Amino acid sequence: MFVLLSQLRSLRRSTALTRGSTPRWLGIRHVDAGSCNGCEHELGLVTNPLHDLQRYGLDIVASPRHADVLLITGPVTTRMVEPLRIAYAAMPTPRLVAALGDCALGCNVLGHPDELAGPVERILPVDIRIPGCPPTPQQIASQLLAALERPADSGQPLAAATAVAASGVRTDGERIRD
Amino acid sequence: MADALDGGERFAGAWATSTGGWRIALTRGSDARVLACQPADRRLDTVVDMVGAAVWDEREAHDLYGLEFTGHEPMRALIKHPAQPEAWLTPVTGPGVHQVAVGPIHAGVIESGHFRFHCVGDRILALDTRLFYKHRGLERAAEGLGPDQALAYAARACAACAVANSVAYAHAVEDALGLEPSMQLRRQRTVLVELERAYNHLNDIGAVCAGVGYAAGSMAFSALKDRAQELCSQAFGHRFMFGTVAVGSGALTLDAGAADALRQRLRELRADAGAAWRDLQFAASLQARLEGVGVLEHDRAIQFGVVGPAARASGVLGDVRTASPRLAYEGFTPAIAPRGSGDVASRLQMRAVELETTWEMLDELLAAPLVAAYTSQRERASSLGIGRVESSRGETVCMVELDAGLITRLHLRTASYANWPAVAAASAGNLLPDFPLINKSFELCYACADR
Ligand code: SF4
Repeated sequence: MFVLLSQLRSLRRSTALTRGSTPRWLGIRHVDAGSCNGCEHELGLVTNPLHDLQRYGLDIVASPRHADVLLITGPVTTRMVEPLRIAYAAMPTPRLVAALGDCALGCNVLGHPDELAGPVERILPVDIRIPGCPPTPQQIASQLLAALERPADSGQPLAAATAVAASGVRTDGERIRD
Repeated sequence: MADALDGGERFAGAWATSTGGWRIALTRGSDARVLACQPADRRLDTVVDMVGAAVWDEREAHDLYGLEFTGHEPMRALIKHPAQPEAWLTPVTGPGVHQVAVGPIHAGVIESGHFRFHCVGDRILALDTRLFYKHRGLERAAEGLGPDQALAYAARACAACAVANSVAYAHAVEDALGLEPSMQLRRQRTVLVELERAYNHLNDIGAVCAGVGYAAGSMAFSALKDRAQELCSQAFGHRFMFGTVAVGSGALTLDAGAADALRQRLRELRADAGAAWRDLQFAASLQARLEGVGVLEHDRAIQFGVVGPAARASGVLGDVRTASPRLAYEGFTPAIAPRGSGDVASRLQMRAVELETTWEMLDELLAAPLVAAYTSQRERASSLGIGRVESSRGETVCMVELDAGLITRLHLRTASYANWPAVAAASAGNLLPDFPLINKSFELCYACADR
């Protein structure tokens, strides 16, 4: 493990990531609603040592029951509408929905109309939009942060985000592991 | 069909057409041919008794094109998702047998798909995979388009295999149009395919580490993969090399300085990846989980028509790169499995060994600049073309049918599609908690299969 750890250490030194200043915690649950896997690949990298999303108090969690943000990729295929709705319903409130990638936002979507039910905003209210095909890990991290740090009078999404971010406690109090 | 197989030809995929036609592609070396028929009443005899690899192809044709296959019993739903369990589940009964349902949404950042395990205690007796949650109807949507426009439908079937799928598509169209790529075009496409393999193999080694919860390994390889993609972006403008492949030509250029810079960066990456890989050999907690797990025996790998590193890890020789006259693989010899035992350890090692060949090839290919390249007319145009490319997951076959210059049928049979049935086979008899590891050792794309 020595070589691996020293590689990781030198990566950290060379990228010289700054620390997040605000103490907060926000759980993100990802749902693939029919992507080409590009958005997943990039999202999977935001927690690696080059980007380290966790330093801002953001992390990817295993279940919608643990999540404050539902992060959705893909154009929403007909077969993913139901699972997507179930995941959203399983989340505690307040909650946010983020559409990740052009497909999720309804731009340049490829596919047969019979098989597609999206974009995401046709099915769920979208609070955060992250364009790109796919957005790079850097873009994903910075856009998530920018969306959460919008000034307090810019509307509903932010109010919910601040409430969650500042308190770190959800209104429902209870967590169910599944 | 039986004669063809006895004569040494290999099944490479089958597809239905919108008019109820049925096609079977057969290959021998770099040659490919297609058997075609137009069955009355959309009914014909199955070939699954002879070709185990055709099971999914027939189920797909049944679901999407209404073909009936006499002798394919039971005909279980593949792409359609009927509500009744008996329409798609294997009946498994007995004392203590219970089902565990996982997905379509998983716990990690993973694509959507459903697994239904039949277990006794923690032991998996059988696994039914229900994929196609991500079915976007890409093939049907491409019908009626010109070959240049339809390219995007093959490319965006899957980002991680975008280059392999695009090149297979370009080969298929060029095959139909009678076009032959120049040496320069072969070279630039080979560079792209091998770069894609490099970042995928780095990713897949990290994925196995993640599958056993070995964070140091998964983080180190995630960073290596990220660096590889960043090199792709610097050289060719996109981290997944979207938009680098065209039909009939290649606009990619890399002057001598840029090619050499990429070569140097790749050498650095190779050195770091090599050191990280050697370190994994001493990670006892990782190694202890790999041997004897998720075994896919040689005979079953052949029976299921498994391709790519997964097949080679089971001792099945075969690599489309040995039969790719449309790419620059002269003198290529496929890596030999260090173990050939078909377990997780073997599939993991296979990737590391292949990565070395890939670094070697890239180093050679980038010794000269890349220039804009073209195809030339060699044969008369026909209405059907086949393209094959060895992607990082194995043989990917693309078939196109053309009429009056427009695509009437596009079919993409990716390596993931070929290998998914083997994941279920390799999982049977193992412990449920080892499934993520077994799955990761194949590391198949859902998007590639679902299309
Ligand atoms: S936005 Fe681009 S990368 Fe993301 S799922 Fe769609 S096609 Fe793939």
